[in-house]
Amino acid sequence: MNQLPERIGFAFREKIAWLSLLAMIIAYSIYFFIAQGALRQGASTGQLLGCLGAVLGAQLVVVVVASIAIALRSGAEARAPADERDRAIARRGAAAAYFVLMIGMILVGCVMPFSERGWAIINAGLLALVTAEIVRYGTIVASYRRGWYA
Amino acid sequence: MRKRVTNQIRLLRFLANEMTQAELGERIGMTRQTIAAIESEKYAPTLEAAFRISEVFRKPLEEVFRWSGK
Repeated sequence: MNQLPERIGFAFREKIAWLSLLAMIIAYSIYFFIAQGALRQGASTGQLLGCLGAVLGAQLVVVVVASIAIALRSGAEARAPADERDRAIARRGAAAAYFVLMIGMILVGCVMPFSERGWAIINAGLLALVTAEIVRYGTIVASYRRGWYA
Repeated sequence: MRKRVTNQIRLLRFLANEMTQAELGERIGMTRQTIAAIESEKYAPTLEAAFRISEVFRKPLEEVFRWSGK
């Protein structure tokens, strides 16, 4: 009997989580970098919306195309329903992200309106959503890699 | 000493004509990666999954899984 442990490898859902995490980090790093400079130079709402739309569109296309490619390479595994480990890891990710989103939304909705306005609040809200999603996908990939022990 | 669920799945697969992780996973509705995670004790299965695994090998639950310290 081979005593060496077999490699766990990347599950289909883990690959999708990695893809979503990386796409989100890259896309929104670019957006916030551009938006920050544009706001300082007094960019119009239309220009900022165009920038946000372009980043969202690019992210969507990359994630959809790459997901299809991963699904085709994964074969039957991609069509199989999530098993109990996949579901447990997804729940853990959502629970971690919920608290981040709650704190972010309290800051944006209850604190910032007294000191900021316009795009500062919109971008802060977007940052809270993006941070929560990054925490969710980060928790998911960490749980797949390091193990998930209830 | 931290206690956790350990298992004999690798040995039992070997005794079952080198059943693959994918075959075992297919029989109980899990992915190969989840079986690998259970074997390497990176994931503790639910009670139902533990019973399903024991059923595949036709062994009582306590022969497949143990609650032990490391």
